[in-house]
Amino acid sequence: MTQMSGLVEHVTCLGCGCSCDDIVVAVRDGRIAEARGACALGASWFGDGRVPAIARAGGSNVSIDAAIDAAAALLDEARRVLVFLGTDISCETQRAAVEVADTVRGVVDGISSSSVASGILAAQRRGRVSATLGEIRNRADCIVFWGTDPSARYPRYASRYAPEPAGLFLPNGRRSRTIVAVDIGGARGPADADVRLEVPPEQELDTIAALRASVAGRSLGTERFGPALADVARRLAAARYVAIVYDAEPGALPAQPARAESLTALGQGLNAGTRACVTPLRGGGNRIGAEAVLTWQTGYPMTVDFSRGHPRFRPDDGPRALVDAGAIDAALVVGRPLGLPFAIDAVHTVAVGPAASDAACEIAIDTGVAGVHEGGTAFRMDDLPLPLSAPLPGPPVAADIVRTLAQRIGARRARRS
Amino acid sequence: MSDRLRITGGAVYDPANGVDGDVRDVCVLDGRIVDALPTDAPRLDAHGMVVMPGGIDIHAHIAGSSVNHARRILSDERTADPTAAPALRDAVPRSGTGGTVPSTFTTGYRYAGLGYTTVFDAAVAPVSARDTHAQLDDTPIIDAGFFALMGNDAYLLQQVAAGERDRARDYTAWLLGATGAYAIKIVNPGGVELWKRNIRTVKSIDDTSGVPGATPRAIMETLADAAATLALPHPVHIHCNNLGLPGNVSTTLDSMRALSGRRAHFAHAQFHAYAGGNGKPWASGAKQLIAYINAHDEVSIDVGQVMLGHATTVTADGAVEYLLHASSGRRWVNVDVELETGCGIVPYEYRDAAAVAALQWVVGLELFLLSEDPWRVVLSTDHPNGGAFTSYPELIRLLMDRAYRDDRLKAVNQKLLAGSALADGLAREYTLREIAIITRAGPARQLGLANKGHLGAGADADITIYARDANIAAMFSTPRYVIKAGELVVEEGQLRRAPPSRRLYVRPPYDDAVMRDLSAWFERYATIALANYPVAPPRDAPVPVGAGA
Repeated sequence: MTQMSGLVEHVTCLGCGCSCDDIVVAVRDGRIAEARGACALGASWFGDGRVPAIARAGGSNVSIDAAIDAAAALLDEARRVLVFLGTDISCETQRAAVEVADTVRGVVDGISSSSVASGILAAQRRGRVSATLGEIRNRADCIVFWGTDPSARYPRYASRYAPEPAGLFLPNGRRSRTIVAVDIGGARGPADADVRLEVPPEQELDTIAALRASVAGRSLGTERFGPALADVARRLAAARYVAIVYDAEPGALPAQPARAESLTALGQGLNAGTRACVTPLRGGGNRIGAEAVLTWQTGYPMTVDFSRGHPRFRPDDGPRALVDAGAIDAALVVGRPLGLPFAIDAVHTVAVGPAASDAACEIAIDTGVAGVHEGGTAFRMDDLPLPLSAPLPGPPVAADIVRTLAQRIGARRARRS
Repeated sequence: MSDRLRITGGAVYDPANGVDGDVRDVCVLDGRIVDALPTDAPRLDAHGMVVMPGGIDIHAHIAGSSVNHARRILSDERTADPTAAPALRDAVPRSGTGGTVPSTFTTGYRYAGLGYTTVFDAAVAPVSARDTHAQLDDTPIIDAGFFALMGNDAYLLQQVAAGERDRARDYTAWLLGATGAYAIKIVNPGGVELWKRNIRTVKSIDDTSGVPGATPRAIMETLADAAATLALPHPVHIHCNNLGLPGNVSTTLDSMRALSGRRAHFAHAQFHAYAGGNGKPWASGAKQLIAYINAHDEVSIDVGQVMLGHATTVTADGAVEYLLHASSGRRWVNVDVELETGCGIVPYEYRDAAAVAALQWVVGLELFLLSEDPWRVVLSTDHPNGGAFTSYPELIRLLMDRAYRDDRLKAVNQKLLAGSALADGLAREYTLREIAIITRAGPARQLGLANKGHLGAGADADITIYARDANIAAMFSTPRYVIKAGELVVEEGQLRRAPPSRRLYVRPPYDDAVMRDLSAWFERYATIALANYPVAPPRDAPVPVGAGA
């Protein structure tokens, strides 16, 4: 009998991209009794740790082994397979999932293509000026929250990273910093900001351009934006280290698609005279890990097509278009099927992940949740890797199942060649 | 795969054991070189071919957060260089993409395809070491390790400033073990921290504008002493202040003199060997620099040759990349890494017609051609900074074939070449023995890898066999056979096996007292729990450290 009660310290939470790694999980009777230190979002992400543990194929419950065999056959025989990287899986699982896509010459994608594609493409054109969260915590004396108040979707951002903590160069914490809230229509910055700039949504890009011009000393015409913009530009230029923070995940209002590129240009311009970074807020479930793994294995961070026997970057021809066109006949969803760009019952689908058996698909194999029932690696919103704990015993480990699946598909192909 | 193999009839170049092209057998048993095998052991006919130990890259950027940041912005160049999965017998073959910063599996396949079997990533932010290990796990065949960036670590700088050299050493030892790193790396000592404070130039190695007391000199001395006291297999690995700036050869010489008498490896020396500046035009400082190196046995370098063509500059030295971005208008990535280091990336092209690029190309070749001790002057392009590792065969041709080199020299911009040694005519042509030293035996010695870079009994059976070719670049770009730990990975020029690679790292002992102090530091400033900082130990045993190693 494994230890069914006790405290597990330094647990990493994947409830959002903050990836707080200071959670103490109290386990009682094989369930999570409490996630101490977690915010409401985190507490809900941990839940009580109960997940189903079913393997299903052909409409009935089967052994895991039989389910993997059926999945290998389905994916091996399909004309064109979509592999989708959902949430709550480790990088180890993602690595095996990309191997499946490569082996069956499928298409692989994750959540990023429907959330941060514009930012990824902007970085490919222009680059990035970024910093890890600790640098913002310890160094940023001027923080611009661009159309976002992190407290709603990233509850501990303010207390762990900025603006509250004291840092190496900010001994007085919040009082050492200037907080600028840029309110873009209804997307408002923090209520207690020191400075506010109201921006009508249709003027967002013009405003960024005017800030760029002001920072570069080219202020002719920017006076029509009013004294508030001139004041913000002055504060940015006078700061020691500026952090511009925006929310890259889809929200209630559609974000300006050119925002990431424009803010990057502003951040790059600021670095001519002072130091500055532009950092997106990102969601949880290790979606950043999916980008990292795809990038190192294929060279591309999202929407990769292996149909010609090598990776091709297809940002304009993603899974949704392929499914709609009838070009995909089978899918492997690895992870929690959040943010799927297609109807799961539109094609023959194998789901492997937490609560996969809840999904309306042909073959389902339930696994544990990365960070609750299985360890491994996950990435924080700033691309830093963190270890995952496994405070609870649980269903089969996703990485093992996907690796076995990859091996069986490989073996089927090797037998034919 | 047989566990025994006799390679017969080849001309063996094994400089570490004094073998210089002699025709003799090389015997392999269970992944190691042995003196003899029974006569019925399987044979590999290498008649007419050249047999060398597997290549060793002492300084490249192949895995880690900075490399992945570079990969994700280079979709344009890699679209033009897709690589299909090879036909492998022992592993699931993986496709990938190339360009100047290839994907992981392609990196392993291409290095092995060039006859390289050991590679070190020269710059890993300790806080992202877990990322590097994961990427190396997906980089097959080549044994790999990495150097941990420490020259701008905020905790370490405070210890240096306080004169707490013992604590600094203990921290260094802890950090190496916690990250699974192989050696201490310094990039622009103190200068990356200055860049984060918007101070963009380091005036000298005694610049006091950073953490008081933690001058570049003090940082280099502290870490060089730490490496020596811990008896690490590789000494401190230094990227000097003022990379890429005219006149920087004086900084480089000052840094070498500061560590006089201490072992130190100076990385990509070409980028640190420019005269001129202060209103004078750029010029080669190679003669000055190599004269010092020739006279000082404690110094080793890798050259960091610039290869004319496409490159991607990737470095922890963020300030340099801002300058390159500002002067070239090219896209630019900067990532400031918390309390430890920086990262800058600019995709770049060294053009024949560009005066500075031509000078850089010449400076690198001068360092090679004026060097008197090939054991201490290692071949590198600082991949992908001076050019991709796939350009090594071309570089070897430039060193071995004077007529070819002189033709190339005529084609480049001459504006800054007046007075350079190469322009005045350097007749030297490297021999195969010297190539075997600068690509195998020398880096193995500098890295302290007792079982690599040679073909004596007990060595790892990492062996490359080339068919001779009048075109040296063709010969070195397609080895006929490559053997890794006794396994034939390349047969008849085709990649056939891709075994997992081994990890090379150290785990030096330290006084636990440092942990109390470090724990308080983490509580105040870090965003990751100290308990979550160390990586899981690699499955391979660490490379031993200490006087008895």
